[in-house]
Formats: sequence, structure tokens, C-alpha cells
Amino acid sequence: MSFREKSAWISVLSISGIYGFYFWSVIHTGPNPGTFHFGGLLMTVVALVVLEIVLHIAAAIFNPKEAQAPRDERDKLIELRAMRVAYSGLATGIAFACFFGAFTPPIIFNTNSLLFILVTAEILRYACQVIQYRRGA
Amino acid sequence: MGTIRNEIRRLRFEHGEMTQQELAEKIKVTRQTVNAIEQGKYSPSLEAAFRISAVFGKPLESVFHYSQDE
Repeated sequence: MSFREKSAWISVLSISGIYGFYFWSVIHTGPNPGTFHFGGLLMTVVALVVLEIVLHIAAAIFNPKEAQAPRDERDKLIELRAMRVAYSGLATGIAFACFFGAFTPPIIFNTNSLLFILVTAEILRYACQVIQYRRGA
Repeated sequence: MGTIRNEIRRLRFEHGEMTQQELAEKIKVTRQTVNAIEQGKYSPSLEAAFRISAVFGKPLESVFHYSQDE
């Protein structure tokens, strides 16, 4: 498995795990379930950054040569394809948010809902990279 | 759509059993990319194809073959 594929696995698992816990805690805990907690989100972002750095360093130790090498043309193509899929997901999510916001009275998407759309698009991006690396193209 | 086949595996064997890693370093891509090209899962850019041909000292059409599907 190449370093780039390991990196995509690390990102998809880290984001799913950390944000999965965040959204679970938003729904199930706190005085007002579903409301936005800035402190909780800040801790989530810090935890994600630390976890990704630690896991990427661990992956780089096992294959330092590949970790230092720049992305080749296939890596770039895989990233571009994954970005296209993720953008479609993000645009669809935002279009839904705008659609429901147009109702009278409007169904307003709160910050956590918009964050969920953004996180889902990120997971989609890295999952697409993993799938393409597994397929070989 | 057509299919691009190649002779990289045979040419590597004929050039002192060159490894995928050695070829990858010469054409500045990863070993996984060379493997994907060999298996026909990834079509390289024109630049990478020329670099591969140059490594083996063969013209492009001796390394890559394009066949159009009927």
C-alpha cells in the first residue's frame, strides 16, 4: 500500500471517528441537544489535527522515502476525481439547505447541519481516493 | 473507446530484470503507478509514456499499443 493510500485511509477514518463522536454527542448530550457548542467543535478540530499528525508521522516512519516524494501524475488525477465527486456532494447538500430555507416559514439549517454537510463531503473525498487506489487507477 | 496495452513487463525482463521500483525512480513516479500502468489499469500521460520509452531505448509504438474496440 502506497503512502498516499495510507494517508487517504488515515483521513477517512480519523474524520469519520472524530466527527462521528462530535455529532453523536451533539444529538445525545448537553442541555439543548442539537444546538451548536463552540467549545465542543474547537476540541473536535484540535483532536482531529493531533490524531492526523500522529498517524501520518507513524505512516511516514515505515516508508520515509515515499512520504517525502512529491505526488505523481496518478496521485494528482485521483485527487482531482475525488474532489469532483466531493464537490457534487457538497453542492447537493447546500442546494437542499437553500431549498428548505425557501419554505414559509423557512426550515433553517443550523450550524451543525451545515457542518454535517461539509464533513460528509470531506469523507466522500477521501473515500473516493481510497476506492480509486484499491482499484489501481 | 480503445484499449492501451504495453510491453513494459517484457522490456523490464529484457533489461536485466529491472524492478518496478527501479523503473519508477527513473521516470519519477511511484512503484504503484508503474504497477497500474503494467496491468493496464492506468493510462500514463504522454510525457510519462515518452520517459518509459526512453528508459528502454525503444520508440513509443514499440512499448505501447492502441487497439480500437469494435
